[in-house]
Amino acid sequence: MSPMTGRFNAQSFDHVAVMIERLLPIAGRVVPRQKRLDWAKEWQAELWHQRHGDRRVWRERGALHDAVSLAYGLLADAAWLRADWARETVRGSAYSCLWALGAYCLLCAAMERVIEGSWYSFFRVLSAHFFGGFVFVAAPAIFAAVATYPLRPLRCNRQHPGARGLLSTRAKWNLFLAAKVVLTLALGFLVSMVATEPARLLVGRYSDWVELALYALVVTAGMRWALLNQEQRCQRCLRMLSQPTRVGNPSHNFLEWSGTELVCADGHGLLHVPEMQGSWCWYDLWVELDLEFDSGWGGMFGS
Amino acid sequence: MSSGKLSHSVAIILKALSLGYQFGFEIMEVTGLPSGTVYPALRRLERDGLVLSSWEAEDEALKEQRPARRYYELTKVGKEAESTAVKRYPLLSRLLPEKLVKTL
Repeated sequence: MSPMTGRFNAQSFDHVAVMIERLLPIAGRVVPRQKRLDWAKEWQAELWHQRHGDRRVWRERGALHDAVSLAYGLLADAAWLRADWARETVRGSAYSCLWALGAYCLLCAAMERVIEGSWYSFFRVLSAHFFGGFVFVAAPAIFAAVATYPLRPLRCNRQHPGARGLLSTRAKWNLFLAAKVVLTLALGFLVSMVATEPARLLVGRYSDWVELALYALVVTAGMRWALLNQEQRCQRCLRMLSQPTRVGNPSHNFLEWSGTELVCADGHGLLHVPEMQGSWCWYDLWVELDLEFDSGWGGMFGS
Repeated sequence: MSSGKLSHSVAIILKALSLGYQFGFEIMEVTGLPSGTVYPALRRLERDGLVLSSWEAEDEALKEQRPARRYYELTKVGKEAESTAVKRYPLLSRLLPEKLVKTL
């Protein structure tokens, strides 16, 4: 082989192919388990073509170039599959929601800290505004948000499956809602603090009125968002439901239900949201699909 | 992936698929793009519904004494994206030759 000159013979070409084939199982570990077999099979077939097919264009480029390019391609492909799988796993999950809220809180707190100049001043201003204003506005605003929220309690068509791990499905659901509400309120408070900082510098204590109005607005809006967001999540895995589909015809309401159906991407269940409430569909109905006993659904969503 | 955001390399890959080139190495060869571009692009196109992949029948591959290939083809949305890409990059049509012979 003479990679420096760009010329190489059949033997050096085989060396390259063998090297890449050795790299295949190593790169395969990066690929998500459910896609690993197909991925390896596809690359083995592609490498066969490199070795046995009529590939003059590739052979003229040099063994080293070929090897580096292919090794990079192999790893880039595996890394892309892993990154895409991770993104899909995280997207719409309860963790990503809480992480995002927490990150926004930290960002706002950092901004406020920079504005205040010292930690002492930061904590003093925050505690004064929290206990001197936010607490008094937040309590009635939370009440108003919950009281004015359209009453659409969720019902499940059967019992949730047994607890896996420490917490039951219902406990996880409630814990997530509590954490989300706390973080949303904290974010509302910090955003209001940062947003009214210029007014505080300009007009001093008079800015408190603006701040109180802003507290009421962000707490009400935040609470409504938190409740609506909770409604649109899978009751089992807490991921956001997707693919809203219109079902039925409103004019046939006496004969069949009409409304919107949302589905969990992992196939845990469906949420029926009736367009018109009646004695037979007063509630949003969560229809649990048991993947362990229904291989049809399991097969459909297994990937 | 909307057709308005197609990069040049993705447009070339779509064009190659529309001309009948069906698997990774074939696309790499005709476009001159490296494997590090072609394979992730194919995955992304498949995820976005512009491309569909299917495995070649084992007996067909056995007949030619080679492993089965994974073939890619354009979906309806992919064909629309390809025609948009050709309008955006008019030289694409002249860049790639029509596939004439079956690749071994």
